Formats: sequence, structure tokens, C-alpha cells
Amino acid sequence: MKQQPIIEAEGLTKVYEDGHCALDHVSFGVQPGEVFCLLGGNGAGKTTTINIFLGFLPQTEGTAKIHGVDMHADPLEAKKHVAYLSDVVMLYPNFTARQNLDFFARLGGKRNLTKEQYYSVLRQVGLQEMAFEQKLKGFSKGMRQKVGLAIAIIKEAPAIILDEPTSGLDPKAANEFQSMILHLRSQGRAILMSTHDIFRAKEVADTVGIMNDGKMLTIKSRKELEHEDLEKLYLNYIHGKVAA
Amino acid sequence: MIKILLEKELRDIVSSTKFAITFGAAAILVILSFYVGIRNYEESTREFEAARAVNASNVASLTDWRQVQHKVFRKPQPLQVLVSGVTNDIGRTTEVRPHGELTLINSRYNVDPLFAVFRFLDLNFVVIIVFSLFAILFGYDAINGEKESGTLKLILSNSVSRADVVLSKLLGSFLALVVPLLVPILIGCLMLIGFGVPMSGTDWVQLALVIGGGLLCFGVFLMLSIMISASVTRSSASFLFSLVIWIFSVLIIPKGAVLVAAQAVDVPSLDGVEAQKRKFTLGQFDQRFQKMGEFLRADITRDETWSQRFVAFQDSLNKAYEKEREEYYRKLNEDWRNKKDHQEQWAFALSRLSPTAVFQIAAMNLANTDVSLKHRYLEDLNRYQDEYAEFLRKKTGSSGGMQIVMRFSGQQGAQEEERKSLNPTELPEFAERGRTLGETISASFADLGLLALLNILFFVGAFVRFLRFDVR
Repeated sequence: MKQQPIIEAEGLTKVYEDGHCALDHVSFGVQPGEVFCLLGGNGAGKTTTINIFLGFLPQTEGTAKIHGVDMHADPLEAKKHVAYLSDVVMLYPNFTARQNLDFFARLGGKRNLTKEQYYSVLRQVGLQEMAFEQKLKGFSKGMRQKVGLAIAIIKEAPAIILDEPTSGLDPKAANEFQSMILHLRSQGRAILMSTHDIFRAKEVADTVGIMNDGKMLTIKSRKELEHEDLEKLYLNYIHGKVAA
Repeated sequence: MIKILLEKELRDIVSSTKFAITFGAAAILVILSFYVGIRNYEESTREFEAARAVNASNVASLTDWRQVQHKVFRKPQPLQVLVSGVTNDIGRTTEVRPHGELTLINSRYNVDPLFAVFRFLDLNFVVIIVFSLFAILFGYDAINGEKESGTLKLILSNSVSRADVVLSKLLGSFLALVVPLLVPILIGCLMLIGFGVPMSGTDWVQLALVIGGGLLCFGVFLMLSIMISASVTRSSASFLFSLVIWIFSVLIIPKGAVLVAAQAVDVPSLDGVEAQKRKFTLGQFDQRFQKMGEFLRADITRDETWSQRFVAFQDSLNKAYEKEREEYYRKLNEDWRNKKDHQEQWAFALSRLSPTAVFQIAAMNLANTDVSLKHRYLEDLNRYQDEYAEFLRKKTGSSGGMQIVMRFSGQQGAQEEERKSLNPTELPEFAERGRTLGETISASFADLGLLALLNILFFVGAFVRFLRFDVR
């Protein structure tokens, strides 16, 4: 029996003032313990979907719900249940990893955490101990991404939204990151992740939604994908060889 | 929530290298401006005391009050230490005669032309140039810089209202930058006490208002640059906009306002006015000699009372010409002053488009070193001139002016008079009336109010712009 989705889009549509349709009646749901990958090229509508889910952009039609709360109707309540990690994770370069974590944890409602609790999360994401109290200005992108993931984890939100999280990471860092996502899935988090990396999507996703020109062309479960070549399927949908 | 954001803002600014460098430079300049001002004040005071002593000694070396060339020196004021305004441009010495127009000579820049080129480093300069730049450097990327680094999206993905974010940004930036700037200012104030600058209670109040005005000016640039940061997507573009506004505000608008006012209101040159005065005086001079010749030819009896009659004649002649001349000069001066006032009003009104000019006008009014200083000082001198003329009248029996003194040998008491040295302490004391605290505050109230209004305006502007800011 299916549970109530933690992340839920229903008929999500976004038409800009100039008439450009960025999202066209997109619907999907992400269950607890599920990784849902939005797969598509540039301009497919992945980031628009995420921006609507984070309340950065109002939708023209449809609803975007987090934990049953409509983001448009009550954004402050909806945001209590979601953690976010973007592809650009510069964070505050003059703060140490722990200070960055402390600031965002308190912002996410986690007050009075001990230093050891912060360290524990930083260890969990695989950041080296010596980097905990170092300023971020000397960190590589992979290290900053780990701190960003720690920020998402420490909030303990049931929903996690990741926007191109492995973009720009070297294979080792991307692999470590993938392990972390799977770990979060095992904790029962609902994870919505946008990517254009087909390999990564196949590795990590329980469900893949292929998007193009603002439309959700298809949604395939891991089971359905077991016997299919995701790359070929993706290209076929993109080039219109398969009817959406 | 706002507390957490405010703490972050303060910590983020204070821990940055940019802050360390700019604050260090600003702190040094503030302390240096106090130090340079104090040294200048000490030097000016020494020169003032020395000049007064020389004047007293010159008076003491004479035996007849009619021979005295009495000089009055402008006393240095403590607040000129920090806001020199026009004080170095106008003369410090005046030879006071019982009649005639008084002129100020020996301005500081006239004596030290090098300072006229580079000007003195004062608090006014530090606020206008350094504080305003300081504000822009920290405000230009306050919003769009966070967008570029991805932290804005990360913050707003939490249960945080945009109002809280922008309020903490505006208040946090202001507090993080203003509180550290108060430290060198406080050190400067302690230096004023330590170096024994005689600051009265009124001076301290005026200084506090100058500092308050400086912080308001700083606030205007900070709020403005944050507003630009919330209106422009890229931080490089907002830096460029902020810099252009700064250049216009500091360099172009004040100078442009003066040029436009000069074109809009035609004021005759001072040389032209002086030439008119000279022509009139020379005409009077010829007439006077003619009338004196007529008197000498008509009154040929050289009896005991002749000398008194001659003095009385000269007195009445002097009075009549003096009155006529003063009336003519007054009319010329008044006409010139009215036109000049009109031109200045234009220039000041136009320059108020620039926040730094608004601060400069307010600060000069608070320190009493504004453009009307010369006018006020001359009014005090004119009052003193009447007092001095009365003093001379009592001492010599004459109202002064151009006189021929004739003595006949064997006249009683002449030799006795020559032997007596003059006592300079008998001279009436000149005191600048100055402005009261109430007058000073009311003179700067509108400009301080304008700075506060600009702060509110840009604060609201930044707030509204951020509520509509595209964080994507």
C-alpha cells in the first residue's frame, strides 16, 4: 500500500509573463524512502520545478506540496519540512565548516546543538576532522558540497531537494555523495533530485522522471528500468521517438 | 529568527579580510584627522596669542591713541579641528579703524599655500570620502552577492520570511560597520581631552551631532548600495552603479551645483565692486582737500581756539564724508551680498542632490565654519568698530578718520603727553558673539533631517526591492 507522498506535484504549470511555458501540468509524488530523479537537459523544467517546491517561484496552475502543506499557500510551514542543497554551494567562506553548519542548523530550527553533534554530522558526510574548524575559503567544491549535505541532513527534514548536486564534482566525490544519498534514503527521507547525469540517475534513483520542454514525458520506476537502457530511453523520449 | 540572521551578518562582516583592511584604513584616517586637527588648532592658538602679544606691545610703544594701528585676530575655535569648513579660506587678521570698511587678511591658505592645494585632513573629509566608500564596499553585494554564492537560496529554503532576511541584512550591516567606526572616533574624542583642547559643553553637543550626521551620511550610502544590490542581478553591475553614484555624489554634483548657480545668477566680481568703491573714495578725497583749503583760507585767525576749531571742522567733515561713504559702501555691499546669497542658495539647493554635500553643509553649520562665518565675523567686527570709535573719541576727543594734527611749540601738556606710554589693556576687548547652540542646531536641522529621510527612503527601497528580488 502506497503511503502519502512527502513531495507532491499536481498539475504544476508555470507560464511566464512573456508567454513562455516552462512547466506544463507536471504531476508526480515522492514517497518516504524514495529517491526521485528529475532527468532532463537544460531548459527541461527541472530547476523550475524545484524553485516552485522551494517557494522561490509561484506556479501559474497546480499545487506543490511538502508533507501535505501547499508551498504557495503556507510557505513558512511547508519549508519546515524540507532541506535543500543546490549545485552552487559557496556558503560563507569566512566561517568554518562548523560555523556554517551551526548557522543553517539554527535557521532550520535546531537550536542548542553541541559541538560534538555538529562534528558527528560532518563525520557522517565524510569531511576530514581537520577541516571541521577551518574556514571554507580554502575548501574544494567537493568539501563544500559535503558541508552543504551536512546542512541538509542536520535539519532532519522528511523531504530533501537536491538541485544538480553532483555537478562539477570529481568521480570520487560524486561517488561518496551518491552513498550519502542512499544512506538518507535508508533513513526514510523523500529525496527529489534534479540531474542531467543519466549514469548517476540510474545508480541512485528509485524513480526517474524524464522531462523535456516543461513536460514530464514519462515516469519510470527502478523495477521498470531494470530491463531498459535508460540512456536510450531518455534519448528516444527527447527526440520524440516514443509518445509521451 | 532575525536574531540568528543578525548574528550571522555581524560575524560575516567582521570576520572578513575586506573589513580588516577597510576598517583599519578608516580607523587610522579618523585618528589622524583628529591628530592633525588638534595640532593645527594648537598652532593656530599659538599664532593667535603671539599676534595679540605683538599688537599689545606695539600699542604700548606708542604715546598717542591716534597713532595706534589696532589689529584684531580671529580666535581659533575648537570645532574647527574637525570640520575646518571655510575657516582656512578667510582672513584671520583685521586692522580696526574707527571708520571705514574692515577687511580680513592673512588667511591660513594665504600664509600656507601648500595646504590650499592639498587641504587639511579633517573628519569632514574622512566621512565624505572614506566612510561613503566604506559603505559602498560593504553594501554593493549584500544581496546579489549572497545570490551568487548560493547562500540566499539556502537561507530562504528554511522557514524564514524575506522581511526578516532583509531587515537583518540592513540592520546587521549598519551595526557591524558603525559600531567599529565609533571606536576610533571615541579615541579621537579622548585625544581632544588629552591634548587639552578647550571643548565646552556646547562644543561636545555640536561634535556629537557632527558624528551623528557622519553616521547618517554613511547610512545613506550603505542603504543605497544595498538597495542597488537588491535591484541588480550581478554584484559586478551593482558595484559599478554604486561607484558611479558615489563619483556623482562626491565629485560631480557639488562642483556642478556651483557652476550651474554661477551661470544662473550673475554676481559682479569683487574686484569690480572694489573699483567702484575706490573711485568713490578718491572723489571724496579731492572734495575734502578742497573744503579744508577753503577753511584754512577763510579762517586765518591763529588764536588759542583755532586748533580746536580746525579739529571740529575736520570732525564734521569726516562725519559727513564717512556717512556718505558708508551709505554708498553699504548699498554696494548689500547689493553684492544679496546677489551672492541668491547664488549660494541656488548652489546649496542643487548640491543637496548629493548626500555628501548635505552632510558637509550640516557639519559646517554645526561647527560654525559654514560660508556665513565671514559675514557673521564681519558683523561682530563692525559692532566692535563702533565700540572702538567711541573709545578713541573718549581718549582723543576726536572721532578718528583722516586728520591733520597741528601742534604749536610751547603748547601746554604736549611734552607731558608724549612721555606717557599707552596701556593696551585699556582697549576694548573684542569678542566674537558666535551662534547659540539653538541657532547652530536649527541651522543644521533641515540637513540632518534630510540625511535621516534619505536613510529611511533607501531602507524602505531596499526592503521593497528585496521582497520582489528573484532569488533563483
